[in-house]
Amino acid sequence: MLLHIRAFPHREDRPISFDGIELKELVFMIPHSRRLGLQLMEKQGDSLLIEMPFNTDLEVIPGSGIIANGAITAFLDTALGAAVYDQFESYRRIVTLDLRVDYFEKPLPFSAVMVKTRCLKITDQMVFVQGDVYCDDASSPIAHGVAVFSYAEMEKKS
Amino acid sequence: MILTFLSKLKEQKSFDESLDISPYAKMMGFRLKRHDDKLITVMKFNSDLIGSPYPPVLHGGTVASLMEMSALMQLFWERELVHIPKTIDITIDYLRSGKPEDTFARARVFRRGRRFATLHAEAWQSDLNKPIASAMLHYQLIK
Repeated sequence: MLLHIRAFPHREDRPISFDGIELKELVFMIPHSRRLGLQLMEKQGDSLLIEMPFNTDLEVIPGSGIIANGAITAFLDTALGAAVYDQFESYRRIVTLDLRVDYFEKPLPFSAVMVKTRCLKITDQMVFVQGDVYCDDASSPIAHGVAVFSYAEMEKKS
Repeated sequence: MILTFLSKLKEQKSFDESLDISPYAKMMGFRLKRHDDKLITVMKFNSDLIGSPYPPVLHGGTVASLMEMSALMQLFWERELVHIPKTIDITIDYLRSGKPEDTFARARVFRRGRRFATLHAEAWQSDLNKPIASAMLHYQLIK
């Protein structure tokens, strides 16, 4: 698909932690992520695998089993943000500059949706990330997202 | 269902209707409003829309979702459609962080062909001249 860059091979085995809070907990603590039911499934090298379980609240048309595009966009936004947090040793405030989502096909009815993230590049001010969205088959994505995040300098501890 | 819902609304000069017919739109607190002959999609604030708690900021994904809904509503509004258009892609620019309050979005059809449509959407809160996000969207109109 796009670039197959392993951005930070030296960080592969680093545990995910922000001032003692694991990323998994951090992702859950965001109210909207909680509303979407997002769960961090695993960390594979430099990428994260995050799941959004099926929930009837996410249907566009009642009974259709099809999750709304908007929910997938919000899911990607969060997943890519999580991938950015994962690049830092400690918590930093991040801001999404832009996000682009391509929708290839509808999600499978009544199916959970997964995002597998990849960090493309980190500069002194920005992080470039991408994510594949799929249902049951990781080799057949239903959508794809690319985002650029800016990050703040280390925040002073009060 | 949504088509019938909208064609009924088209007959009214002004309205402010919830989009509860869709479970997802209900969860997001989406409403459709007609004001000065303009179509506005509203996202009523609720605490589940927060993306960063201290200080409270709207989740960027919810704003993207609102703009997507407003683009879809605009497409329906301007012409009779037989089925729901398929979103091909969305490109969102985040301009300002969203405050924990109601958010509004409107969309404009840039070009509409037989098969595809290109739209631009923007979202704002208290000040229309200070958009918090904008987006470009492409839709596939026929199956």
